[in-house]
Amino acid sequence: MCGIVGISNPAISAEALTDDIQTMLAYIGHRGPDGAGYVVDNGFAMGSVRLAILDPASGVQPFTDKSGRFWLCYNGEIYNYRELKTTLEAAGCVFQTQCDTEVVLNAWITWGADCLRRFNGGFAFSLYDSETGDLFLARDRFGKRPLFYAKRGKSVLFASEMKAFLTFPDFAFEQDPAQLSSILGQWTPLPHQSGFQGIESLPMGQWLAVRNGNISTHTYTDLQFDTGPEVTSEAEALDLVRDRLTRSVELRLRSDVEVGVYLSGGVDSAIVATLAKDFSQKPLSTFSVEFEDTEFDETPEQRLVSEHLGTRHFSQRISHADIADSTPDAIYHAEMPAFRSAFIPMYLLSKRTQEEGIKVILSGEGADEAFLGYDLFKETRLREAWDRLPEDQRRSQLEKLYPHLSHYGPKDIAAVTGLYHQFSTEKMPGLFSHELRFQNGQFSARLLNDAAPPFEEILLYVAAQDGYANFSSVEKAQWLEYKTLLPGYLLSTQGERMSFSHGVENRCPFLDPDVFALATSINLKFDDGLTEKRLLREAFRGRLPDQIIDKRKFPYRAPDSAAFAARRPDYLDVLLSSGELSKIPFVNAKFAQRLANKVLTRPAGEISTKENQTFMYLLSICLLHRTFVLREGLQSPVLPPLQRAVNLTQTGKAHASQGNFSSLT
Amino acid sequence: MSKIRDFMEDQFLIEFDETFPASSDLFKEGVMDSFGYIQLIRFLEEEFEIKFTEKEMTGGVMVSLEQIEQTVAQKTADRSTS
Repeated sequence: MCGIVGISNPAISAEALTDDIQTMLAYIGHRGPDGAGYVVDNGFAMGSVRLAILDPASGVQPFTDKSGRFWLCYNGEIYNYRELKTTLEAAGCVFQTQCDTEVVLNAWITWGADCLRRFNGGFAFSLYDSETGDLFLARDRFGKRPLFYAKRGKSVLFASEMKAFLTFPDFAFEQDPAQLSSILGQWTPLPHQSGFQGIESLPMGQWLAVRNGNISTHTYTDLQFDTGPEVTSEAEALDLVRDRLTRSVELRLRSDVEVGVYLSGGVDSAIVATLAKDFSQKPLSTFSVEFEDTEFDETPEQRLVSEHLGTRHFSQRISHADIADSTPDAIYHAEMPAFRSAFIPMYLLSKRTQEEGIKVILSGEGADEAFLGYDLFKETRLREAWDRLPEDQRRSQLEKLYPHLSHYGPKDIAAVTGLYHQFSTEKMPGLFSHELRFQNGQFSARLLNDAAPPFEEILLYVAAQDGYANFSSVEKAQWLEYKTLLPGYLLSTQGERMSFSHGVENRCPFLDPDVFALATSINLKFDDGLTEKRLLREAFRGRLPDQIIDKRKFPYRAPDSAAFAARRPDYLDVLLSSGELSKIPFVNAKFAQRLANKVLTRPAGEISTKENQTFMYLLSICLLHRTFVLREGLQSPVLPPLQRAVNLTQTGKAHASQGNFSSLT
Repeated sequence: MSKIRDFMEDQFLIEFDETFPASSDLFKEGVMDSFGYIQLIRFLEEEFEIKFTEKEMTGGVMVSLEQIEQTVAQKTADRSTS
């Protein structure tokens, strides 16, 4: 139940769709190596590949109801499925399995799209009504599981990963320079962007209906900052943090296979591991990335947590060569331009996790967004107060902001202070918090010839959000993080796209609706926010060594251009050769080559963050072009063992289709 | 003064010409960030043997090549007359 695909086109017969749906499934076979299944009808086909986690014996998909009318292909988990099942049983539903798939299907049949608000989980699914021919697609509220769709002529295609569309020789992948400009500007795609022309990502918190070839989208939930409980004291806040996180971890441990934890060395994943251990009958398995380059390494803290909790710990050592050698494969799985190399070690870590026999892991993603862990939030508050602060306070607060950046040190702080004058008032409506960060994106957009204004799309996006203008500056910053960096990179490129490249499902206890709601109630209520995530840390003081509890936020990063400068892999010809670059007309070849030559030849200390970032964008855009647009170097997809194949035209449940059956696109 | 232009063209991967004049705001154009700005200040101080005072630094930034060249010319002139 870890990857879905489908085709809707009234002009194609069930038989003609059978081969295509199997090839689509094969392209995402890595997501669910335990089995594949599909259902075909006249004008429609969908299928799933499965990583068997809950009720492995009876959760085979596609799943149907007793009548055989509704069919479900489902990726993800609804963690509160037992509670929903009880409610549905009280309403008269009868269940045949212990699997959450059956709960999802019955919830939709019983409540319709209203069921989505009740789901606490990470999911994307397709549901087909064979009586009406209607198709519904839905995605979870935080965007944990992906879902892409494309309309081509009369057909609508959908898939967990865009690579499934490679099935069709006449499906032309074209990188979209306007979207790329936006992606480079704000670092990650907006929720609807895919980077390719004509392919949409279904945004988080939305569902979609396809009726008679027409698509309509609907929002079932969005981020609210005023739905949390009333909390009157810090002691109550700490109790609630412990209670809600404990419950969240407990729910995410629901699995019929062993669940491990990714330990970063920071406090968030250490808390998750602590709580997971409380519920584990045997030693918890933990996994970490260890860097040969000590600048990025957090091994001592990882070992400290592992020893403190007595976990069975696995550490995956990563060298520059490992990063350079794995980049093409990792970018193929990411499908998206990337601004950092930090996702590549996660590709290798998931491989290790799979080799050690673990299919499900918990991680600390989402804590920084909920509990204000990023320096960005402090920076926003500082810039907002800038004009009211005396000079000495400006400087002292600035020095504490980015201690890992050498130019924020005492020697240069006066110049940086002067620079911040420029950023104390809002220039782009609604984007105040991110204006300094977006400077780097502005630089990256120079990779594109005649680039569309990089912030045009995100300005329209925030302007269209009801209630956004009433958020505080920090809430706006959070909202932007929940809509861009978190789903567009951390949960996808660095998160589930890497874990599922080796059949590992990641779960995020901090991305729980109750945990998020609580955080909105207590953030900045009992402190000034200068110690990031203070309440979260204090809630678990005593459960973890103080060295971990008091550890300052250490951004997870990996060697960027330095890895490629050291290794010089052959595939760098995609950006060093004029002939290769000329194949991508929208890339500014002159700037690209100057940048590449600089970052690959100068000492790492001379390369700025924005140059590293822009180099990674260039490399990933070029490799995506080679793989998806030119279709070079593609490996033959392999279909997992076929567990279910249903042809509704042979069961008497087919939808009466119209028209002559012809080609797909 | 061509040294400043050369340094910036090399350092920030730009070329000043009619489409990108010396009056361009380097921050608005996405050419400069805090790291680059510090690199530039260090270069100017070393190359032209000048010193920016705290007040000059904290008072605001030089945003264009034109402004940087004017400031450096003024400071080197002040130094030679003092």
